[in-house]
Amino acid sequence: MIFSIKRSFAIFQKDYKDVSKNLYVTVSVLMPLALAALWGMDGIDNINIHYMLFNMTLCMVAAYVQCCLIAEEKEKNTLRGLMLSPASTMDILVGKSLLSFIATFIILVACAFLQDYKPENLLVISLAMALSTIFYIGLGTVLGLVTKSVMEASVIILPFIGFFSFGSFLTVLAESFPILKVTEYLPNLQLIEIANKVHSGASLSDVWFNLAVIFASIVVIFAIAIVVFRKRMMD
Amino acid sequence: MENIIEVSGLAKMFSNLAALKDVSFKVKKGETFGFLGPSGSGKTTTIKILTAQLAQTDGEALVFGVPALKLKEGSYRKRIGVLTDNSGLYVRLTVYDNLKLYCDLYDVPYTRIDEVLDMVNLKDAKKKVISKLSKGMLQRVTLARAFLHKPDLLFLDEPTSALDPVNTKHIYKGLENLKEQGTTIFLTTHDMNEAETLCDRVAFLNEGKIQLLDSPKALRKKFADNTITVELADGSKEIIDRGAEGAQTMYNYMSENKVVSIYSNEPTLGDIFVEVTGRKLS
Repeated sequence: MIFSIKRSFAIFQKDYKDVSKNLYVTVSVLMPLALAALWGMDGIDNINIHYMLFNMTLCMVAAYVQCCLIAEEKEKNTLRGLMLSPASTMDILVGKSLLSFIATFIILVACAFLQDYKPENLLVISLAMALSTIFYIGLGTVLGLVTKSVMEASVIILPFIGFFSFGSFLTVLAESFPILKVTEYLPNLQLIEIANKVHSGASLSDVWFNLAVIFASIVVIFAIAIVVFRKRMMD
Repeated sequence: MENIIEVSGLAKMFSNLAALKDVSFKVKKGETFGFLGPSGSGKTTTIKILTAQLAQTDGEALVFGVPALKLKEGSYRKRIGVLTDNSGLYVRLTVYDNLKLYCDLYDVPYTRIDEVLDMVNLKDAKKKVISKLSKGMLQRVTLARAFLHKPDLLFLDEPTSALDPVNTKHIYKGLENLKEQGTTIFLTTHDMNEAETLCDRVAFLNEGKIQLLDSPKALRKKFADNTITVELADGSKEIIDRGAEGAQTMYNYMSENKVVSIYSNEPTLGDIFVEVTGRKLS
């Protein structure tokens, strides 16, 4: 697959200009910050609570913003213009993801700062957060491609926000319903596991399996995104 | 001359509805080819198939000598420009920013933006936000975007449908310039005057089938009723058959200095369409 940095960057630049005038993006970006500020003031120091907010940020910023950006392109018929241009599938997907990635990174750092969360191993946590962000962007891309409008995208994302933000409750249910044990491999729970291990002094070599699970989720979600994207290239 | 588009036996079904049935035609390099027909006749479906936005059910569609579906590849996409009903613009961005994005995607210098805006009579609107533009202005921006990269082949689906006569004239001039530079233009329209002005050849599409295909001049000649109308000094009009008898009548009128004007009775493309299909264009 051919990749052009110039074309991807052009799409990113366009999104950057466009999104700065976009109300739903501003609102969804501010919500995790408000919660982080609130929890920071309360002095909450619990890894699971911190990561519930981080997972929510990943859903609200990485997945939701990405979902809306893609859905809006579909709604306004601008995605077809990109598809008919010489930009490859990779150029478009990378270009469309850059803004969500950067925005998520900034909000995650700001949330950590506001909650006064200082990870014991910044490298491992940064790597886990970066991989998680990519996964959620992939999720947002798929949801944006299957919806027809921003309104529809805003609705379809809600169960995913709930599922991935409060997913740790599923592990409790798994004791009664063993089939739910599979949810332990979800990227949000892997991220919490990494955070707990790091909190107990684990290094990169101790969390490689969890990182590999998140990476595998990325491969799966982007494979789906590429298939759906190519289907959307034609009526 | 080299064929840029070759279509044979093209058919497209939507569920049980046949949008195209056994359509065949060729478009030569540098030609402006008009695809004429009423709404729902299959014009947009044909453009979508030829631009790899839709797969045909049957038949063959070659563009630049390769199956149309290959146009998904970047090297071919650079050679085509498309204006269809689903060509959208970024409404929160300016005209300039919209075109700048496409300059980057097509590797075109930004200086080209002023050239295309001049072609569509929108040079003064460069800094205007898309959401503030009128329908006609939007149409002109999408048109400017379609030929921003000087494509070898330009697909235009009803390009002047939302434009006033002054801007329509501007677009015609721009398209004539493109044609002079060697661009092949595939145009769909239901405006017969537009077809007469721009097209080298036209195909009449009705109910998914091509009914006629020739140059506008040849079609008018073919369907002419072989008469002329003479307007006389007393205000009356007389229809005279071409031929010896008609010539004698004309001679008499002219000898008596009664003739004010003479014109041939050639049908318009619209008349021909109605005669052939029994349908009106709308």
